[in-house]
Amino acid sequence: MKKDSRFMVGLVSVAAVVSYLIWTGVSETMVYYLTPVELMEKVESDRTFHEEGVKVSGQVLPGTYQRVDGELLHTFVVRDLVDESVTFPVEFRDALPDTFTDDTEVVLEGRLRGDGVFEAETLLTKCGSRYEAAPEDLAG
Amino acid sequence: MLLGYVGGRTQRGDYVLSAERSIYAVFFLLVLASLGIVSAFLGDKFEYWYIASYSNREMEFFYKVTGLWAGQRGSLLFWAVILAFFSALCVFLNRKKNREFMPYVAGVLQTILTFFLVVLLFADVNPFEQLAFTPANGQGLNPQLQNYWMTIHPPTLYLGFTAFTIPFAFAVAALLNGRLDARWIQLTRRWILLSWLFLAVGIIFGMRWAYEELGWGGYWFWDPVENASLLPWLTATAFLHSIQIQENRGMLKVWNMSLVLLTFLLTIFATFLTRSGLIESVHSFAQELKIAYIFLSFMGVVLLACILLIIYRLPKLQSENSIQSFLSRESAFLFNNLILLGAAFAVFWGTIFPLVAEGVTGEQVSVGPPFFEKVNFPIGLVLLALAGIGPVIAWRRATKRNLQKNFQIPIMVGCFVAIALWIGGARHGLALVTWSVCAFVLTVIATEFWKGTRARARIEGEGFAVALFHLVTRNRRRWGGYIVHVGIVMIYFAFAGAAYNVDERQHVLPGDQINITSPFGHIYTLTYEGLSVSLNRGQRNLLWQAIATVSVEQDGVAKGILTTEKRQYVTSDQLMTEVGIRSTVREDLYLILSAMDDVDGALSANSSAQGIDLQVLVKPFVLWIWAGGLILALGTVIALWPSVDRRRRSKRPELEAVTTGVPEIAGAAR
Repeated sequence: MKKDSRFMVGLVSVAAVVSYLIWTGVSETMVYYLTPVELMEKVESDRTFHEEGVKVSGQVLPGTYQRVDGELLHTFVVRDLVDESVTFPVEFRDALPDTFTDDTEVVLEGRLRGDGVFEAETLLTKCGSRYEAAPEDLAG
Repeated sequence: MLLGYVGGRTQRGDYVLSAERSIYAVFFLLVLASLGIVSAFLGDKFEYWYIASYSNREMEFFYKVTGLWAGQRGSLLFWAVILAFFSALCVFLNRKKNREFMPYVAGVLQTILTFFLVVLLFADVNPFEQLAFTPANGQGLNPQLQNYWMTIHPPTLYLGFTAFTIPFAFAVAALLNGRLDARWIQLTRRWILLSWLFLAVGIIFGMRWAYEELGWGGYWFWDPVENASLLPWLTATAFLHSIQIQENRGMLKVWNMSLVLLTFLLTIFATFLTRSGLIESVHSFAQELKIAYIFLSFMGVVLLACILLIIYRLPKLQSENSIQSFLSRESAFLFNNLILLGAAFAVFWGTIFPLVAEGVTGEQVSVGPPFFEKVNFPIGLVLLALAGIGPVIAWRRATKRNLQKNFQIPIMVGCFVAIALWIGGARHGLALVTWSVCAFVLTVIATEFWKGTRARARIEGEGFAVALFHLVTRNRRRWGGYIVHVGIVMIYFAFAGAAYNVDERQHVLPGDQINITSPFGHIYTLTYEGLSVSLNRGQRNLLWQAIATVSVEQDGVAKGILTTEKRQYVTSDQLMTEVGIRSTVREDLYLILSAMDDVDGALSANSSAQGIDLQVLVKPFVLWIWAGGLILALGTVIALWPSVDRRRRSKRPELEAVTTGVPEIAGAAR
């Protein structure tokens, strides 16, 4: 039975290591996932939040998308999904996904700089359910 | 459909025959239903919601047929039909054998089938639902899904998910009839392997699709849907290893029962997650509320019922042996299991963490790829090392001599590879460690093959090639498993190459050149030749297409032309990017047309308007992922293949097949 207990020590230590990895993984890589309204509130109450990496979901304001030729830079304005008065400009220096159009819902990861411009490192589009169509649109 | 219910209930006594026949009936009816959907696709019957959503008049025949599994509703029907097919096959194959299991097996299968039929009929996902009006044309399939890999990726995964229902049914049957030795495992070993094979291949198909079609140069994004398909694969892998301990040493019975249950639940979870937006946000949860509740309560009921059954049978599930030493094959396998489960748990946790955190703190948070990488890289490395240790360490208790004999050379080779790579200029720590562990595992496997073949060649007096062939065919299970491990090593080897990815973006005009240094030291010179925009070139559905042509030189030697393009389809307001890939054994050159300055200007062949943003990636060893997948499939098929020599097999029960392992052959070699 002594062997069994030695073995239990092994099991427990594996479990402990995995939990430790998960715990540190979560605490080091976790980011807030906010709406633009929440982001603005956070920044107002705490200036250091400008340095914090966050994830924000919002809607691209139609007609604001611009590509700066030759600089590999995309700019557009994002507004809150509910409160249309809350907006901020976005700069993005990577390739846009094909699903991006100038009125899509996007999820941005990056930080809101002190000058109020959101510097996005990643951009994902949110197509409701994954690749699902909405046939109700056909009625029109 | 009523037959399903009746059959599910009448699983005892005289009703067995009717239960089994009802499975055939359900299968037949589901085939009819699926044919109905396919013919509706082919006949452009847009009055059906499902057809209007996923097809249009212009779509190619091929995609119309495969439209059956393009969306949630059709997928569920398709799922049910495959499940019914496997169930019918299982009942048919066992019509004269294993009668102590079959009534229960049929009952369990019917219950699960019934569940899917209930979902199809009552969860607002009936694929035959009609619209209030008949649209003139359908919406068409998202162009990103119109790709060969995407067409075969979902059904492959579904085959894997559903095939696992059979071992689950046998496990429950064993719990019910009380035959709790390794019999149910032996009976379902092929089903487990089949399911595992389809899962693995399905996942790799998905990676291939992402790599070719999504246009960002990666193959895995730790997306919830991807994770959902990975989870049952991880637990099924654990199960495949732990059943060997039960077969050989009569241990871990409760553990195996739990694993089969867990894997089955995860396949259901994956089905549910793949086609609903649950994880993205709790808000989309509301839209799918009904189906979510049905799925979750089904999973809850199954979980509860199985736990109660296991507790009820606990006295019969006692181990016949106990682990004697830390340094033994049992313990290596157990660690492999724990670590696989740990990885599965980490992936599961990362996937549902946003939901949990929101429920607890009210604040939405998210964990992304960095989390999964941070947690799974170390876990994956230990697992890889165990793949080298497990097969050769002795059962029960490894002696110092056994360890020395088996591991001295492989460890030396591993260290040698690390040093050689360091001298060769590789400095990325994690990649270095991965490659040297790969070398370690490969050496172990190669040594096994060498020893086995040599021993056989000597004893039977056969030539070397013949001996190798006989070695593998006489114990497919063991050597097939080793070949699978080789495939896994190749995939790890390729993953580590990602540490040396090169990523360059530039704005270019026709005639501009980009110089890229590959991690292997040679230089690519890419010359942008220009952008040719053409309006609908006769291909149905296509509005326009812009093709950027780039000529490739490697160290001054012309290597041909690569194109990357953007397309606009009639039916979608999205653009589609097609990437240009040049694959070699060493690395892939991957071109992405990121953005165009002026599409209209380029149409008029005005070269100053042909400026584009070009992204160039150099990705080492990607080809090895697909090659590793092939080897893995080959190994699994070898392990799966029914024994040709039935006489031999019946004389020597399968149990023995595994034990005729190292000690005997090593002994013979001495």
